[in-house]
Amino acid sequence: MHIPDGFLSNRIAIGFDALSGTGLFLSARRLKLEASARLVPMMGVLAAFVFAAQMLNFPVLGGTSGHLVGGALLAILLGPVPAALTMATVIIAQALFLQDGGLIALGANIFNIGGITAFSGYAVFRLLWRSACSEKRLAFAAFSAGWISMMLSAAACSIELALSGAIPLRIGLPAMVGYHALIGIAEGGLTAGVLAFLARVRPDLIEAPRNAKLSGLEWAGALIFVAIPFLILALAGGSALPDPLEKLIESGSAMTAGASGVQALISTLRFSEYFWEFLVLVALIFFVFLGGRFLHGRKAHQ
Amino acid sequence: MADYAVRITRLNYSYPDGTKALEGIDLDVRAGERVALVGPSGAGKSTLLLHLNGVLSGAGTVRILGQAIEGGDLREIRKQVGMVFQDPNDQLFCPTVFEDVAFGPLNLEIPSEEIPKRVEKVLRDVGLEQSVRLRSSHHLSLGERKRAALAAVLVMEPSILALDEPTSNLDPRNRRHLIEVVGGLPATLLLATHDLEMALSLCPRLVVMDRGKIWADGNTRSLLSDAHLMEDHGLEVPLSLRTLGNVRGD
Amino acid sequence: MKHSFIDRYSALDSPLHLLDARTKLVGFTVLIAAVLWIPPGKPFAFFAYFFLTAILMGISQIPLTYIAARTLVILPFVLLAGLALPWKTGAGFALFSTLLLRSSLCLLILILLTNTTRFVELLRGLRRMGCPAILVMNLGFLYRYLFVLTEEVMRMRQARDCRRVGRARAAAEMKLLGSMLGTLLLRSFERAERMYQAMLSRGSCGEFPILAPRRFTWRDPAFLAGLGFFIWVAGYLN
Repeated sequence: MHIPDGFLSNRIAIGFDALSGTGLFLSARRLKLEASARLVPMMGVLAAFVFAAQMLNFPVLGGTSGHLVGGALLAILLGPVPAALTMATVIIAQALFLQDGGLIALGANIFNIGGITAFSGYAVFRLLWRSACSEKRLAFAAFSAGWISMMLSAAACSIELALSGAIPLRIGLPAMVGYHALIGIAEGGLTAGVLAFLARVRPDLIEAPRNAKLSGLEWAGALIFVAIPFLILALAGGSALPDPLEKLIESGSAMTAGASGVQALISTLRFSEYFWEFLVLVALIFFVFLGGRFLHGRKAHQ
Repeated sequence: MADYAVRITRLNYSYPDGTKALEGIDLDVRAGERVALVGPSGAGKSTLLLHLNGVLSGAGTVRILGQAIEGGDLREIRKQVGMVFQDPNDQLFCPTVFEDVAFGPLNLEIPSEEIPKRVEKVLRDVGLEQSVRLRSSHHLSLGERKRAALAAVLVMEPSILALDEPTSNLDPRNRRHLIEVVGGLPATLLLATHDLEMALSLCPRLVVMDRGKIWADGNTRSLLSDAHLMEDHGLEVPLSLRTLGNVRGD
Repeated sequence: MKHSFIDRYSALDSPLHLLDARTKLVGFTVLIAAVLWIPPGKPFAFFAYFFLTAILMGISQIPLTYIAARTLVILPFVLLAGLALPWKTGAGFALFSTLLLRSSLCLLILILLTNTTRFVELLRGLRRMGCPAILVMNLGFLYRYLFVLTEEVMRMRQARDCRRVGRARAAAEMKLLGSMLGTLLLRSFERAERMYQAMLSRGSCGEFPILAPRRFTWRDPAFLAGLGFFIWVAGYLN
């Protein structure tokens, strides 16, 4: 699921580099402001934990093997922002140590495997679980968080590849999402297993949501976070910047189009079309997250 | 005026979950003195040491070199109190040994030209080869890691040294070597340990802790020979002191 | 679990190894970008870049088998891409070959970058180029504690295998794995807490000071100039 260089069109790769870069920069600044010196060694060691855990493969249904990705788990324990930062560290390390995932594609990989898993996992968990619920409920919430985060991540990945023209949706979406629906079971299962263990041994780690409030500054930060890359895409889309992959697609589009309705997505890569895909995807994540926060806030005040 | 390096008065500390860790600790240590802190596991020795540089703060007063920790200049205090923890892995967190040893001086804003010299000297003092500087600490053996951790603290030239179980898990040769190195240091020494023979050889003064309190404070040899005292607090008379008289504490 | 996937060949002595980390970071990233921006319909440009990369690979003294093993990462994506294409038409083939050429070339360049630089140097280079301290610190801790953790994992596995024969059913297996991971996680938390205390004890206020001696030699600007020249010339190839 780590996209190598060359499979994403340059516009999309750079766009996500800007998005993830801004996000990382803002998160780093915010953590610094909060003087969370205690959090930093925590994040470092947990990054090592995730990296090590990801190397523990186990067989899933005989043939394939899967491993814990960990974004949802970390987000439940640390909050989405530190979790995303930690996962970003892991993804960068994987690119540098194992060449798993490309350099220019880092932005997209961090967004998919770090951002989406952390935020969606957190949102789903908070939606489904309140403190002092049964152990079964905890396991269910954790499982759902893990599973859904994987599916959304895979969906984003296949959409990005499709928009780049590298792997059309009719192949990419079923392949990636299908595979991750299977792998996601392991992710959900392990997330639930770890949380069940922690609930017995150190329940204090799950109870209080850290960094729970979204201040005005964060709202502004989030808006900038989302707006800047769109700005960049808008400028890039309008400019004459050459994008070889797109030109290639356009030159061959007459041959590849028409196979199915879904093909229409990649038949012409005009800017206005994928602007909306981005918007929908990011908005979806945000609303799930906000919805979860809102509901949790309501409950807390009762 | 007697110059006290450490003065602890009526120190009490409880863990966040409420368990009492330290109760009414009174301890005065003169400059240059060497004190061994012994007691069973869970007695509170490590917890006490952590109060010496302000990492933990409980009720009561702790004065380091005349200055109270509460409201004091923590940086200065941490420069003067060198703390070596039990597990070297927790203290060697930089990618290379050189950076681990340089970490302290860099934080103290010692000019960067001086640092390589200091690192070289302190590595020599603890008996490590200069080649370890560029290696990562996971390539070192446990004995070497313990020495590196000690070096990382000694490089800050503290006047008070607090060591937590320095010889645990060491083989005899490394243990002897570490005892030699520590023995040659001029700093005031607080040694928390289960290694009673080492306490005997290095420290003239002994403090017995158990269940968060101090039960005895005096001459090492006489306290360690007291079989009743030893057995009451989960310890035993070290081999070198055993005579027919104190083997069975009747 | 071997540490050999990191820094296995990064202590060699080739001219590439001797370059400053920043030079390599900038140079190779620019090279990757140049490859990604090769306009379609210019196959000779690809060949030129492959030629350059082959030369660089040779200079680097990294074993070919190692490099080849590392390139397998792109296989799943290449397969998926291959499935989709209408092979009868020329345009599909052009797209596939472009994808293959782009991705493999970029991957080889990335392999060169990461395997000719010691990780520690890479971190220093990143920090000095303005990467946020938190990120560099995290990467440093990750590198350092990866080995501690993998040792613990191996020991946990051994301990588990000593106490049972064969495998349990899937659900029980999952629960056991969950407990093992949970224990590892807790130990990580506790270790992080102790690390924090050790950092405080050595005077830290949370920032990570970096001591980095200057290491630029004549090789660095020479390398960058050479790359720049090559890219400029390659732009004219048809």
